[in-house]
Amino acid sequence: MATIVSVHSFRGGTGKSNSTANLASLCAQQGYRVAIVDTDIQSPGVHVLFGIDEAQAPRCLNDFLWGTCRIDEAAVDVTPVLEGGVEPVAGRLFVVPSSIKSDEIGRVLRDGYDVGRLNDGFRALIKSLALDLLFIDTHPGVNEETLLSLAISDLLVLIMRPDAQDYQGTAVTLELARRLEVPEILLTVNKVPPSLDAVKLRVDVARTFGVEVAGVLPLNLEMVEVASGGVFVTRYPEHPFTRELRVIAGRITVAAAPAARRA
Amino acid sequence: MSTPKSGNALDALLGRMKAAASPLREALLEIHGQYAPVMDGVVASYIPELALADPNWFGLSVVTVDGQSVDVGDHQQTFTIQSVSKPLIFGLALEDQGREAVLAKVGVEPTGEAFNSIELDEVSNRPYNPMVNAGAIATADLVAGKDLPDRVKRMLAMFGRYVGHPVHVDNGVYMSERSTGHRNRAIGHLMLNFGMISDRVDDTLDLYFQQCSVLVTAHDLAMVGATLANGGVNPVTGERALRQEFVRDLLSVMYTCGMYDSAGQWVYEVGLPAKSGVGGGIVAVVPGKLGIGLFSPPLDSKGNSVRGVGACVELARRFGLHLFESGFTGPDIVGELNPRRARGSG
Repeated sequence: MATIVSVHSFRGGTGKSNSTANLASLCAQQGYRVAIVDTDIQSPGVHVLFGIDEAQAPRCLNDFLWGTCRIDEAAVDVTPVLEGGVEPVAGRLFVVPSSIKSDEIGRVLRDGYDVGRLNDGFRALIKSLALDLLFIDTHPGVNEETLLSLAISDLLVLIMRPDAQDYQGTAVTLELARRLEVPEILLTVNKVPPSLDAVKLRVDVARTFGVEVAGVLPLNLEMVEVASGGVFVTRYPEHPFTRELRVIAGRITVAAAPAARRA
Repeated sequence: MSTPKSGNALDALLGRMKAAASPLREALLEIHGQYAPVMDGVVASYIPELALADPNWFGLSVVTVDGQSVDVGDHQQTFTIQSVSKPLIFGLALEDQGREAVLAKVGVEPTGEAFNSIELDEVSNRPYNPMVNAGAIATADLVAGKDLPDRVKRMLAMFGRYVGHPVHVDNGVYMSERSTGHRNRAIGHLMLNFGMISDRVDDTLDLYFQQCSVLVTAHDLAMVGATLANGGVNPVTGERALRQEFVRDLLSVMYTCGMYDSAGQWVYEVGLPAKSGVGGGIVAVVPGKLGIGLFSPPLDSKGNSVRGVGACVELARRFGLHLFESGFTGPDIVGELNPRRARGSG
């Protein structure tokens, strides 16, 4: 049984897709079989980080939701992208992208889809790719994909910035996550400016929400420079940002370990 | 069992997500996958409209008494309700006329005869039960209203309360049934001859042909079942479809007479009140728990959906749904709606 990890933020621009891609990559580097499903149907983006283009991904999540392909047919093996880095990759990483074509985005928004089918897809993907970890990258805010991903997640990674709007939104998401009985929730504070005391911030946030803070990530200029042109942790394996992400990834694999320990 | 949650939109949405993520959905998908390849049975063709059905259609829905639903396969495909309408019309007649008056016109004895047999009880002249055509026409006669349009309106409103949305008659099927329903006309006139139905026989036959031609989905049938499982109240809308005192009347005749002349085999194997129709629909009721809606057009020799029967047998077996089951140690079907159950195992 794989561990399902939802990565969510109430508002956009928190670095959610970047964090998902990097955390999943770190887990794959550690030897886990990992996949990311981009359920951000309205504004997909995680494929960019792995340089997936249309030629590589003739099928996508939309095709599966419309019943025109199996979900594993939409999965792209991006392990070679990680192998460009310093560390050898012991595991595997797959990405199921969402369509970037405007008419296909429009169609799924107009016609909707059977949310149960999305769940069937997650289960089928776990089985056919023998996954240890499934990361679900969600659209910011609250919608059906988000709620479904919360309902099936073993672990929620909630990302926020030290910003009043994010504080409010995070409280909303936490309430929903608790009502959907997500077993484990990890908060991550991202884009923390150097002027803030990271230790104090960690304590404050944990106290405010009553949730474990897995990491406090500094505002990262190099990340901005990478500009989603690649996976940060493979380019900067010794960067403080990567080290902090590695702690969070470690925390995720601890949560996954009982179920996902492989022979 | 918790109370209906119709008041809270967020609760309903969260419930929908939980159901979509539940182990029960996986179980239904498995059962669907198990019976989808079964190619036995024949699509009803006594009128051309029914023969148009795709034999591959197969929908499977479960709705619980707290309004959660799990739907797989062609659960949104519409089809005509046909005989599944019969217990509901029986219920409307009971509400309109009272138990005594209804039982004076129709019995509650199962019969081994085919559903369309022209046969009445020799002593009482009553049709054997409301599930055979004769009994259904007799109960349709008892539906109150000042004229035919009024009676049709009341009948459609009643179906609407069960399924939770307005329903419509498939006019093609209705006109076809109406113009070819000679046998049913004969049954009607025979009963008129015995004084078992009133002299508005043509109106009543018209009502009967329309009731059989109401369009529903597998999900709708599960909602009908859930309403009957819930004491007559639709668990999603909170609206009462049938007075509580008559729920047991319906479930009793469904239990003993609901599956045409394979009722005995059905009760033995599945042990749930149910009703099938030649459109390929089946509704089954687990009292106090849930309704099951099944739809697949190919029928067995008795007139029951082959895949529907198979899937229901399998559901009952897996989750110990037979009413006489006791000490069952397998999974509780309602518990299987919780996405957190069974997580981490397997």
